[in-house]
Amino acid sequence: MTISVTALTWLVGTATLITALAPIILIIFWIKDRAKGQLW
Amino acid sequence: MNSMQGASLDAGTGWLILAIFSVLWIMLGAYLGRRAEGLEGFMLAGRKVGLALGTATAMATWVTSNTTMAAPQLALQMGVWGMLGYSLGSVGLMLFAPLAKRIHTLMPSGFTSGDFIRLRYGKTTWRIFLAISLFYGFGWLVSMGMAGGVLVNALTGIDYRIGMSVILAVCVLYTVLGGLRAVIGTDFLQTLIILVGVVILAWLAITKVGFEDMHAAVLDKRPELLNLLMPAAIMFLFNNLLFGVGEIFHSNVWWSRAFAFRKGVGFKAYLIAGIFWMPIPIVAGFIALTVPALGLNVPAADMVGPLVAADLLGTTGAILVFIVVFAALASSLDSLLAATSDLILTDIYKGHFRPHASENELARAARWVVAGLGLLAWLLCLPRITTLAELLYFTGAFVASTIWPIAAGLFWRRANPAGAALAMVAGTAIGLTCYFVIGFYVAALVSAAVSMSIVLISTWIRPGNFDWAVLANSREGHS
Repeated sequence: MTISVTALTWLVGTATLITALAPIILIIFWIKDRAKGQLW
Repeated sequence: MNSMQGASLDAGTGWLILAIFSVLWIMLGAYLGRRAEGLEGFMLAGRKVGLALGTATAMATWVTSNTTMAAPQLALQMGVWGMLGYSLGSVGLMLFAPLAKRIHTLMPSGFTSGDFIRLRYGKTTWRIFLAISLFYGFGWLVSMGMAGGVLVNALTGIDYRIGMSVILAVCVLYTVLGGLRAVIGTDFLQTLIILVGVVILAWLAITKVGFEDMHAAVLDKRPELLNLLMPAAIMFLFNNLLFGVGEIFHSNVWWSRAFAFRKGVGFKAYLIAGIFWMPIPIVAGFIALTVPALGLNVPAADMVGPLVAADLLGTTGAILVFIVVFAALASSLDSLLAATSDLILTDIYKGHFRPHASENELARAARWVVAGLGLLAWLLCLPRITTLAELLYFTGAFVASTIWPIAAGLFWRRANPAGAALAMVAGTAIGLTCYFVIGFYVAALVSAAVSMSIVLISTWIRPGNFDWAVLANSREGHS
């Protein structure tokens, strides 16, 4: 049973998209924490 | 490790990158640590770490140099299941989310995972746990130190001993200067570097090779890598999952963060970190699948990541990999230094030798313990025992045996000390036997199964009646 090119594209594409979004989300968290004075 | 000239930087460029990032981490650590006052400030960053820093530190610590270097290697050896199996390491982070919340609720003044085991199960179980935890923590620390030297040597040609010494010294220095505040603060920046770096590499692989060509070439030259029914790989997947859960559940690296996060942050931080960590091994790993399409000759599987990066992006690719690997190494090394030294300070120094030590004395000793631990790790890293990294695999049997005693101890009043101790000893012993008789991919699996059976049966046969209030007073052992 072999993974199809479509399934591989979805798997890697979704993983790359989430990984690309992660730093943006982290920076948003950082800005929100800092605004609330809850960074540390 | 000289098998990858195509992926190497010249030593001058290597030194320049090492120097820039070493200065950056030390200055940032010293700056962040200037407010690390007292024992709680140094060991637990003041117990008020927010969601942004909490999520990033959990991610960065779990992204080791292994994640960035071994994920492509596993993809090259075990195909799709190799990278999927690695990504299941994130389950440990996600499962630790409810535990982090429970830990913070039960022990708002706790310091280490050892504190919990001592108060929950008594001294005998505590000492068994300490042996497992320190063995694992120290093994991981030394293997990370060696990985630093080996990778710097492979990526830049800088001598192993010099590269290893520089990386260890940098991490020790900023951890001594700033304690957990320095560790968590640098982790934030290191997480961003790692994430951006692996995404750039993946994007290049996708745009320059393309999924159609990549799939066709793998199907032609290495069809087994696309096979979804590879038994050894599926076994690896479950073993890796349990290994990861065991590593996270018992290790003070994760407990110290649960104590350091402000109220309400632990659950969210670990859950989000797990979700964001899950795709990283897939993104870092799949570039190995471009090897057949690119027609690359890979003499050493563990260097496939840098080889592909250099082929796609030339020197810039090699620089990018080096920066990502340095960030991944530092983010794990500093956490291990801080958490293992906390365990030594609290559970060995104070717990066994100086029970009446004052907080001031402990705060002073904390810095010396970090420095001493770094020195010891450096001495053990000097000989470059290459088999140590492989030996770390068998710690799977040790750590997986702690999953059930810890989870049951946190949530079940009836879990009892004798059952917890026996579960750890028997789980480890039988897991190790299976490691040698069957293979590395079953050690954690068997250990967790044995440990679970013993905890369940002992709780059923001889239920305890633990008073949770005992844990709330954990601070008394530190005053």
